[in-house]
Amino acid sequence: MASNAQQPPPQGDGRPPKPWEQSGGSGSSGPSPFKPPSAGSTSDVVEASGTAKPGEIVPTANRIGTANTNALGRPLPARPWEQNYGTTNYGGYGSSLSYNSGYGSGMYGGLGGGTYGGMGGGMYGGGLYGNSMYRGGYGGYGGYGGGLYGSSMYGSGMYGSGIGGTMGGYGMGMGGPYGVPDPNDPYGGGPTPPPGFWISFLRVMQGVVNFFGRVSILIDQNTQAFHMFMTALLQLFDRSGMLYGELARFALRLLGVKTKPRKVDQWQGPDGLRLPGPEDPNPVQGFTKPQKAVPAQGSWDNVWGSETN
Amino acid sequence: MPSFKTPFQGYSVKFSPFHPNLLAVATAQNFGILGNGRLHVLSLSGGAGPAPITSPFSFDTADGIYDLAWSESHDSLLIAAVADGSLKLLDTSLPPTANPVRSLSEHSREASSLDFHPTRRDSFLSSSWDDSVKLWALDRPQSLRTFLEHSYCVYSVVWHPRHADVFASASGDRTVRIWDVRDPNSTQVVPAHDHEILTCDWNKYDECVFATGSVDRSIRVWDVRSHRAPLSVIEGHGYAVRKVKFSPHNARIIGSCSYDMSVCFWDYGKEDSCIGRYDHHTEFAVGIDMSVLVEGLVASTGWDGMVYAWQLGTDPRAPM
Repeated sequence: MASNAQQPPPQGDGRPPKPWEQSGGSGSSGPSPFKPPSAGSTSDVVEASGTAKPGEIVPTANRIGTANTNALGRPLPARPWEQNYGTTNYGGYGSSLSYNSGYGSGMYGGLGGGTYGGMGGGMYGGGLYGNSMYRGGYGGYGGYGGGLYGSSMYGSGMYGSGIGGTMGGYGMGMGGPYGVPDPNDPYGGGPTPPPGFWISFLRVMQGVVNFFGRVSILIDQNTQAFHMFMTALLQLFDRSGMLYGELARFALRLLGVKTKPRKVDQWQGPDGLRLPGPEDPNPVQGFTKPQKAVPAQGSWDNVWGSETN
Repeated sequence: MPSFKTPFQGYSVKFSPFHPNLLAVATAQNFGILGNGRLHVLSLSGGAGPAPITSPFSFDTADGIYDLAWSESHDSLLIAAVADGSLKLLDTSLPPTANPVRSLSEHSREASSLDFHPTRRDSFLSSSWDDSVKLWALDRPQSLRTFLEHSYCVYSVVWHPRHADVFASASGDRTVRIWDVRDPNSTQVVPAHDHEILTCDWNKYDECVFATGSVDRSIRVWDVRSHRAPLSVIEGHGYAVRKVKFSPHNARIIGSCSYDMSVCFWDYGKEDSCIGRYDHHTEFAVGIDMSVLVEGLVASTGWDGMVYAWQLGTDPRAPM
């Protein structure tokens, strides 16, 4: 490597100058099409311009059909996560805000996110499904909490009946049985119990939607490379081990059919780390270690048959 | 020249603006579709040896990492764009338990790209599949501003190298938008391709010129003053162009990587523009960078998990 010898002298703050900064001049002929830069820090400049809008959260769903966004007048494909999947609309979008957020207040309410987000991390963070297959799921939950309990902003129309009913059944201790919107006390008092079955189910569905969303985006980017992409995808299924089988088992469980638990020599339950495969010399560690902080009776964990561990 | 195998699939690679021997790579498990992410900081030892590239620092995330940006103000600071929409600020001088130093969670879909402000060095931009671009300052806990005009995923955002208030964003809505952070709306909309645009970059030596790469397999070079027709159209990739990067040292050289698994270099002023083609990756090549500090040193990463750093004109896979 012929590298060190060419290192330019550092500037006052230590960063070497960029080559184009040393060359001087704009390099273009004619007048500059850009307004001259303002002095000051970026935050000062933006705030002085009156365009600052700190911490704005924009649910994508709200923006569908907004005027003036599609400059071309061409129809654009709907994104996979926007298609007829009512429960995901806000479930997904609240999630990243709430989960893992230090600033999680905002539109969707931080409490729900904090509660469920933290719990999700503890219960599923280190597990196989938590961090590989369904990691989208617990994120979705934070947002789901927002939609359901929160707040009148999104109303309970979407969630109120179907999901809210189930929630009521699981004793979420709400003021009203179906999470009647109550902006002043949206979450009721006290800590919330572990998520019930349907919540877990929806969480998984969110994860599945996320999964297919990403697959679909990648396919979009690879319209011509589709067959190559499918090869990669099949490899993926092969490696992460029979998604179909797992889904089938899950569906059977839902129907009340008892199925044999999978052998645990390849898989671990939600409280274990993912085992390294032959192509994966470094097992996941550190950040995603399970915390075992929350009991998960009757919840998602058992659905997957890991109670035999 | 050295190579490094990451356990996950590479998504992005960038050289440190401070140290000529440092680069960082963003990786995601299972092709970024599901699973964890890991950011590696890699050190080129610069000599022959059993391990020409070592990884002195790595950081795990619960979801894939799609992009990263080195801070231009602190040599140990990095930002990772995570597929759960969060942005993680990492300090490589701190132990892993002290990281991330900050987690910014405002994007509601996958965070797709990051760019640190090259001139003011106090802020950075992030783009996301939630159609937005966000501007963040290191001295603020929340985003300063959100730029909302794109109607599909924003895949790439990049500051203008000379104009501190100007940046460009490339989106799947088939447009590139040019923004001024002081203006409420974008200053220009360039319908640059008929397919999704996955990437864009500014020319470092001509303030009006930028390049785009698209699913239509072409790279187009544009002038912001007259964007009815591109200055140049570069055909040569067999599949979608995933990233384009203008050389920091030469006004006419563009590097690109593509889903056709190749990394190419082009001189857009020439009729026969291809000046180098590297087929060292065995899967999609999705990350490319050119060192600002060492002329001719380039790096690439791809879904084969390999990170290569090599001098242009040499074979990336050749032994040291």
